Amino acid sequence: MPTYAYILVSLALFFVGTAGVLLRRNVLIVLMSVELQFAAGTLALLTFSRALGDQKGHVFAFFVMALAAAEAAVGLAIVVSVFRTRRTASLDEVNALKG
Amino acid sequence: MTVDTVQIAALAPLLLISGAGCLALLLDTFKRARGPALWLAQLGCLAAFALVASQWMRATSSQPIWAGMWVVDRMALFLDGVLIGTAFLTLLVAAPFMREHDFAHGEHHALVLFATAGMMTVVHATHLLSLLIGIETMSLAAYLLVASWRRQPAGAEGALKYLLLGAFAAGFLVYGTALVYGTTGGEMSYAGIAARAGQAADNPLFIVGVYFLLTGMLFKIAAVPFHMWAPDAYEAAPTPVTGLMAAGIKVAAVGGLVRLLGTAFANPGLALGHAGWVRVLGGVAFVTMTWGNLAALRQDNVKRMLAYSSIAHAGYLLIGLVALGQRVDGAQPALLVYLAAYAFTTLGVFAVVAWVGRRDDERVLVHEWAGMARTRPAVALVMTVLLLSLAGVPPTGGFFGKFYVFRAAMQSPDLAWLVVAAVLNSLASVYYYLRIVVAMYFSESVRSWQPFRSAGIAIVLVVTVVVVLALGLVPRPVVELAAGGLITGW
Repeated sequence: MPTYAYILVSLALFFVGTAGVLLRRNVLIVLMSVELQFAAGTLALLTFSRALGDQKGHVFAFFVMALAAAEAAVGLAIVVSVFRTRRTASLDEVNALKG
Repeated sequence: MTVDTVQIAALAPLLLISGAGCLALLLDTFKRARGPALWLAQLGCLAAFALVASQWMRATSSQPIWAGMWVVDRMALFLDGVLIGTAFLTLLVAAPFMREHDFAHGEHHALVLFATAGMMTVVHATHLLSLLIGIETMSLAAYLLVASWRRQPAGAEGALKYLLLGAFAAGFLVYGTALVYGTTGGEMSYAGIAARAGQAADNPLFIVGVYFLLTGMLFKIAAVPFHMWAPDAYEAAPTPVTGLMAAGIKVAAVGGLVRLLGTAFANPGLALGHAGWVRVLGGVAFVTMTWGNLAALRQDNVKRMLAYSSIAHAGYLLIGLVALGQRVDGAQPALLVYLAAYAFTTLGVFAVVAWVGRRDDERVLVHEWAGMARTRPAVALVMTVLLLSLAGVPPTGGFFGKFYVFRAAMQSPDLAWLVVAAVLNSLASVYYYLRIVVAMYFSESVRSWQPFRSAGIAIVLVVTVVVVLALGLVPRPVVELAAGGLITGW
């Protein structure tokens, strides 16, 4: 497959992730959509890295994986903490703060 | 690349801060020793501050290290000093605050230091990888700090909103990095991007990448339309943490933007339409300050009002960044003076807010501050001075910060409209800052007033008010520090 095909896939992934964050109301789905954005970035980095014969993209991809894991760990901890007080994982019902 | 003592020595303040953070965490985990953990964290801050000061004396030219990932120059060291000061003052307020509100977590002090290490990485970064690592270290620690106040029922909710939007912003940073990397032919260092940006400027993927990177950074400084998280996170966070977020994270993110926009995207060939990102950022600056001030006008909760005020300040700071993009001399030191004045003012204001609240009675509504001048005249006076500094009234540091930024922007005829809008905005903002002053001085107290005693908070109030007044009365030494020892065209 040519390079642009991979980039198109990564763009599609990124926009699916963005749409998921903006449109879905379940916290877990939103977190998964963010992971999709990271995956899109990783795919684009790897594609460019291969196409350019350069190692920096590969290295960056490792950091993005570590980052996604850290983000998920902190994210799930906070979701659990919200669930304990509210008994819900829906963003529409988590609305004590306003204005 | 070889690792030698010069490179390790250049990182010494960062290593000290994160090392002290690790030790504080271990002390809390294995010894349950919270007092020593706090002293260790504060000692780490003081030692790092001394190291930064000695590095500033020696840093006559900018020194790139770690294969262009990191730079040591006087701008970064100046901001390091502000950031470490922010962390130290935050710890001083946090200890009595946590005692009063009964949520002692030793990891709190470690997280403050980790967040500070992230902020320092951001202002030193000259590579998209170190920028991302810095931003995320700072943000992950901040999410946890916001969630740490379990008594506050909204705490986890504020943290959740902050986390979701922060992670969303990180997604933009990662994807923007990928696009810039691919379209510049494998460049990630700012210098490399600047060298190749001219050729890539017409590539639509490159343009998207630049704007994605900008979007990610604008989330962090809470610029409109990426500000939705700020009021909620600021309100839900423990008040000392709110101070750290409003002061430290904003200073770091603006410092990172100064470097990113001033080096990587400074190439005039980087057109992106007429004047490119400069024009877009000018629009964002206008919307941010106007929206922030309008929303602050109708807030009754002091923490939320200050959150919107910090959004408005992000707008004023963006004017300085736009001036930087127009290659105005003196825009960069003006921004640094503004950041220093803003950081200390904000820390002082949030220290007062932290001091006012008692356990299970946070007392954050404006009318609950009524009559404070009668019972606690000194604190009311300090709060008044700090609020006037936020509003930009002389003789305070906030006035000179605004004055220098606006003067730099005035040198570019394209920006005159922005400066006029900013001055009008500042005038409007006086209304909501004075609402608090009026409540303190001219309203009858509705409830008996029992703030708690704390030497730590008293020290913070004295330090911040002295710094703010000193900056307003004799700005020259700080201006010289910000300009890197050289005054040209001032």
